[in-house]
This record gives sequence, C-alpha cells and structure tokens, in this order.
Amino acid sequence: MAESFDLVRMVGIGKRYGGVQACHEVDFVLGAGEVHALLGENGAGKSTLMKILSGDVTEYAGSIAINGTPVRFSGPTDAQAAGIAMIHQELDLVPGLSVADNIFLGRELRTTVRTVDRRRMEREARELLDRSGVSLDPRRPVGELRVGEQQLVTIAKAISLDARVLIMDEPTSALTSSEVERLFDVIRELRNSGVGIVYISHRMEEIAKVADRATVLRNGKIVTSFDPRKLSTAEVVEAMVGRPVQTMFTTPDSDTGDELLRVENLKLKARRPRPGRRDPDGISLTVRSGEIVGLAGLLGAGRTELLETLYGVAPGGTRTGRILLQGKPIQPRGPRQALAQGIGFVPEDRRASGLVLFHSILANTVVSSLPSYGRLGVIARRMERAASTRMADRLRLKFGRLQDEVGTLSGGNQQKVVFGRMLLTEPKLLLLDEPTRGVDVGAKAEIYRLLGELAAQGLGVLLASSELPELVGVCDRVVVLRDGRDVASFSTADSGEGELLAAAMGQGAVFDEVGGV
Amino acid sequence: MTDVQDKVVTTEKPSVVATLFRFQSVFGLIAVFVAAIIFSPRKNGEILFVSADNLANVVRAVSEIGIIAVGMTFVILIGGIDLSVGAVLGLAAVGSAVLMVENDWGFLPSVVLVLAIGLVFGALQGVATAMIGIQSFIVTLAGLQIARGLARIWSGGQGVAIAYGDGPKEAPTSFALLGERTFGGLVPIPVIIFAVVAIAAVVFLRVSAFSRHLYAVGGNEKAARLSGVPVVRVKIAVFAICGLLASLAGIVHAVQLNQGSPNDGIGYELDAIAAVVIGGTSLAGGRGSVAGTVAGALLLGVLNNILALNNIDSNIQLLIKGLVIVAAAALQRLRPTS
Repeated sequence: MAESFDLVRMVGIGKRYGGVQACHEVDFVLGAGEVHALLGENGAGKSTLMKILSGDVTEYAGSIAINGTPVRFSGPTDAQAAGIAMIHQELDLVPGLSVADNIFLGRELRTTVRTVDRRRMEREARELLDRSGVSLDPRRPVGELRVGEQQLVTIAKAISLDARVLIMDEPTSALTSSEVERLFDVIRELRNSGVGIVYISHRMEEIAKVADRATVLRNGKIVTSFDPRKLSTAEVVEAMVGRPVQTMFTTPDSDTGDELLRVENLKLKARRPRPGRRDPDGISLTVRSGEIVGLAGLLGAGRTELLETLYGVAPGGTRTGRILLQGKPIQPRGPRQALAQGIGFVPEDRRASGLVLFHSILANTVVSSLPSYGRLGVIARRMERAASTRMADRLRLKFGRLQDEVGTLSGGNQQKVVFGRMLLTEPKLLLLDEPTRGVDVGAKAEIYRLLGELAAQGLGVLLASSELPELVGVCDRVVVLRDGRDVASFSTADSGEGELLAAAMGQGAVFDEVGGV
Repeated sequence: MTDVQDKVVTTEKPSVVATLFRFQSVFGLIAVFVAAIIFSPRKNGEILFVSADNLANVVRAVSEIGIIAVGMTFVILIGGIDLSVGAVLGLAAVGSAVLMVENDWGFLPSVVLVLAIGLVFGALQGVATAMIGIQSFIVTLAGLQIARGLARIWSGGQGVAIAYGDGPKEAPTSFALLGERTFGGLVPIPVIIFAVVAIAAVVFLRVSAFSRHLYAVGGNEKAARLSGVPVVRVKIAVFAICGLLASLAGIVHAVQLNQGSPNDGIGYELDAIAAVVIGGTSLAGGRGSVAGTVAGALLLGVLNNILALNNIDSNIQLLIKGLVIVAAAALQRLRPTS
C-alpha cells in the first residue's frame, strides 16, 4: 500500500480533569487496515483518549490529524462526519424502538413522499445484521434483546455509518464465545477493507487473536507498544500494573475479631429475572469484625447483586441459604431494617442513588439518622448541625457551608457525604459498591485511610470493586465472584496484584473496565 | 473545615438575583398588589380594591383553593400530583350537607366523618401509588371520577341546600358560625382556617423529621429508599394529608354557599396546582415551600378580584391567568442553579 499518511495520528495529547492528569503527552497512531488494541487499568486514560478522538471531549492539548489533515472536532457529530464511530460500553440504544429504527435513528430512510420507508430500513438492517453474522429480526424492540444482542446491534449500527475509524470499547463483555468469533470475522473483514479499528479490552487471548498492535497506557502515559502475538501475559500485566501502588493504601490492620457476617450458599431466584442481572447463585463468605473483604469479578459477575441482597433491596424472589449477622440468622427486608441491625450500604452510583444533589450537605448527611436528633418527630436543629459538622470534620470534607447544595462538591467529597450519612447510623458492617469510582486520587487516598480507621475500630467491610490495586491494597482478603458464585478467595498478604490479575486473566477472565476517570 | 482557601471560594453571599428568584412569588404578589391598587376603580376618591370589605372578599375567595393548595404542595414536593382534590371537595361538601340536613347529625360528628372520608380517600390513593406503583397522575385521575361519582350517589345527583335551625332537616347553627366573620366582623372564619392550616404546614415542614423524609423522597426517591427513608409510609401519609385538607376545604365550601352540590369544586385541582407552581414549587419534586404556595394563591386571588372589579370579560380573565402561570413557570426555568 502506498499510504503516505497514517489514518489517525494523535500527537502530544493532554487532558486534565481537576487535579487528575488523565492523559499526558500521548502519541497514538492508527493505520488504515490496522486493529490496534488499547490496554490499561481503570483511569489509565484509555477512555479519555478515545473520547477525544470521537469528539466526546473537545478541550484537550495536542493535535489530531486524519489522513494527514489536521482536525479539531466540535462534537461527536463532527467526528462522525469525519468517519469516526465509537461503540460505547454503555449501549446508547432506545429500548422501545425496533432494531431497524435504532440502526437508522436520526437518519431514517425516506420514501419519495418523505414518509419513513420502514420496509427498506428493515431490509437494509437485515443485511447489516447478516453481515455481522447475527440472526435477529430487525422489527423486534431492542429492549427485548439480551445485552449481548444489543451489543451486536450497536456494532451493526456503527458499521452502517461506513466509518473509516471504528472504536470498540469492550465490545465482547456480554457476548457468548460463538458471538465473539463472529465479531472477529466482522473485524477482520472490516480491516481488509481498510478500516482502522481501536479495540479496548482486557481479554488477552482476544487481543492476541485479533489485534495487530497493542499499546499499554498507565497513569495517562503510554508505557509500551508491542506486537500482541509476541509478548506474554505476565509481561503485559507487569506493564499495566508496574507502579508503586502500595503507597496509596493504608496497610490494613491484620487484627481481626469475631465473625461478623456469615453467608452460606446464598441464592436468590428473582420472581421476574431481568437481563443483565446476575443474582446470587450459591455464594458463601465471611467477614470478621475489623476485616475488609474485597469482592472481585467481571462485569455481570453479581457483585452489586450480592450487596443488594444483603441490604434487602434486591428485586423480589425466593432466597435460599443463610445470612448470619453476629451468629444470628437475619432476613434482609430493606434499608430501614438493615440500618437498624447495623448494616450500612454505599451504592455504586452516588448521583443516581446516593444523594439528592440539589439538597444541602446537611440534609444529605443526616437523612438516615434523623430520629436521633430530637424527640417526638421534631428535629433539634442544633443536634443535627453538630452531628453533620462532626462527620464533616472526621471525613475532612472540603466544603463552604453545611447548607450548600451537595451537588456543588467534587465527586470525592460527594462520596464522603454518603459515607458520613452511613457512619452516623453507627453501623457494624459496611457494604461498599465501587466506593471510589469517579473519585480523584486525593479523595481516594482519604477514603482508604478512613476504611483503615474504621476497620481498626472493629467495623467489618465488604468492598466490591473492579479496581485491582484497590482490592489488593485495601482488603485483607479478596473473594472472586463469577456468574453469581464465589469461585476463588485470595489473602492479599500472600498474593499481589499481579498474581490476582494473572490468575483472573489465565481463566480467560478479566476485570471489567469501568469508565474510570 | 481545615482548608481556608476552599472556604473562601465556596462561601458566597447569595446574590440579589438569587434572592429575587427565591422569593419570586412574594415579589410577584407585591407587584400584582401594587398593580391592583393602581388599576382599581375608585368611588368618591376611595380606592375600591383596598377597602376592608373587598380585601376580606379577596382572602375569603382564596381560602378554599388555598387550603387545597397546601395539601397539593405536599404531594408535589414528593414528585406526585393529586387531581382528585376538587372532586373530594365536592364529596365533602355533599357529605356535610346530607349528614347535617337530611340525617340530622350534629356538627361535630358530621365534620369528623367528612374529614375522615377525605383522609381515607387520600390514603387509599397513596397506597395505590406507593405500593402498587401506579403513577399518581393516573391514580388521582381515577380518584377524581370515583369521588365525583360518590358525591352524585350520596346527594341523589342534586345539590342539597343547607338551612340552619334546630328543627328537622336543618343544620345546627353552630355550623353556620364557620361562615361568619370575626375580629369585629373584619376577618371571615374561612380565612382563619386557611391561615391556621398554612402556618401549621409551614411549621411542620420546618421542624419535623417527617418533612426531611418528604423532601428526600421528592428529591431522589431511590437515594431516599437506600438511606432508610420509609418511602411508602411517607407517600401514603402525604396523600392522606392532601385528601384531609381537600375535605376540610369542602366543609368550608358548603358553609360559604349554604349548600352541598356534587358539582362543587370542578376544576379546583387546576387552580391549586397553579398556585403551587406560581409559588415556586418544582413539579419534579424535592424543592418548594408552603409559603410560596400561599403567596401564589393570594396572587391568583388578587388577580381575579381586580379583573372582576374592572368588569373585564371572564374569558379575558382566563387568558390573563394562563399567561401569569406561564410567566411564573418561565421565571423558574431562568432561576440560577448551581
């Protein structure tokens, strides 16, 4: 090929979010007909780099050239016009519309009298799906499809855009192995027709199969770039992890006390199973007081579902197995009961399910412990202010006034408010779901310090996380979940991050990438 | 608390604009009041609008909608809506009349039963939204039909006139007192009832733990639930309060008109919602106040009054009211948010 220019050339890309340098002086080149894998931990800067390329992020340092022509996109539509399509991890489909309608959303085919040409859309959609090796009825509503099928629809949609550059963010996370094979055929076909593909994944064997090049990012910088067929998993893991993570973490106190929580063969059979949910299907584990136990696992392994079941907020169904709190069997019935028994919960998405963003810091902090600030349902304002101030001090919350809206705080400080609310209920056991997601490095360190302190005071913690360094650095033990079952348990004293990751990768598994910074 | 710099950045005095927006309905009320004085017809140099009689009429006319609107504020604060209040008012008016006139019940038992009916009716609507999970718009739309139907059945489809006295088919004279004036004949009792309800609601929302739960449910129901707020209980209680206040307004209505008709209160729910919206309470829930609603109700009352005093065509009145509601809602969109 007599290509004189690279399809995509990104030079000196930099992007800073507040105090976090998400990308720093990154050079990235993608050739026509190349499949380029992008690797790295959460927050390594992969997503940011690709958001810049796809026009999602418009303010950055450095320059981008497509086929030698400098570009600066003003938004995703702009990037699409230049032939760049991104398949997002969170599927951007309209559930109520049919497959065909979704594929042609916003650029519907018209008849000569300008009405929607449904028949032609369905025919073309069927052709596209056939090309991707999927047999799906284009008339079916997308909401009825499995997550994997939805993923294939987004891929078909991206192909229909006739993109020259295709960015795939964990495209196989919900696919079956035969679907994965089909997808690889499609990828090879696209590559042969000159499309450049950026392939973000953690699955080493996939990368070895399909990628021509692989680049590892760490802390916003490119660490290495290699031929994926030539490097061993161990070397890649080292490249990804190779930073002194330990300094971030407070070494956990190894003194643990009596058994606090015991879960025996817990199963939940949902009355109305929902696609994408993985309810516990035989989980056993224990948490001692003063112990921090990590929950690891893939996207869809059932970490969140386990915590929700323990807190009593999982959807209705039949629960079997036993849950014992301090030796006594309990039946989780909901947050009120759980809090009364001393179980606190910090949910995964603090904006959607943790806080009332436009209410005050004060109101958000005390809402779980209100009855204790007065008598006969009347609030003693001084008492609630005192409690809120005390908690803000303890958590080193950075804020102006207690009556400021909680939405004005940074992500890390918002998370501290959710923590503070739970701590005011004086829990014995804390269930944490991705407590440091979207939290800056400084606040992360403070949350870790707090967890160490709480454990030292005898609190038990069950911490679900998809960040390996966090699990290894903070937890005493890590339990790995897969398909709603506990499949392995590591003591972090004798296994490190690399071992854990290598073990996980060796099983073809892999830790899901979660947006990160 | 430790970082001085952070404090300096975030601690700003609320700007003048923010204050204006915050008390939007109060300023709106003052503006409409001043406009009413300016445009008021005069008789022998006396400004008719500010005459004691006229002002008493304004607040008297506002009291029923005002009482309903207080309950509506609660419902809207939790992100719901109650379309049944006008029909519940009709049911309560009919109930008062039938019980006291046709059944010869005493004042107190009649009032207690009528209030209880409103309370239970509201609570049932709360159960339907909170426990079955039907949207309150649908539940109370159905509730509206049901309450209206019950009122028709109970009254036999006709208005029941209330005559006072000790004889049979006469309501006790103690009931008539509710429609009188007090404080030297200046203040109508319905206005006092409205004032008591409003003040009680303001105080309740300020000091009770329940109110924190209420605002939390409206602000983010999922977060409230995970925080241990008894969401179902809060919702049922709020709809019950709204039903109770609607039936209280129905009693006031019956005594002011000396009758109970199944057609009483048609469209009142819309006026109540308008008062809440003008008062700055967000239909999305979690943000708003009873004080704003009171100002909103008074604003609408003054507007009605001054238009009537000037003999403005009633169709034009509707038009102007509509524009005021849109203007109030538009102002809220402009409100600076952080």
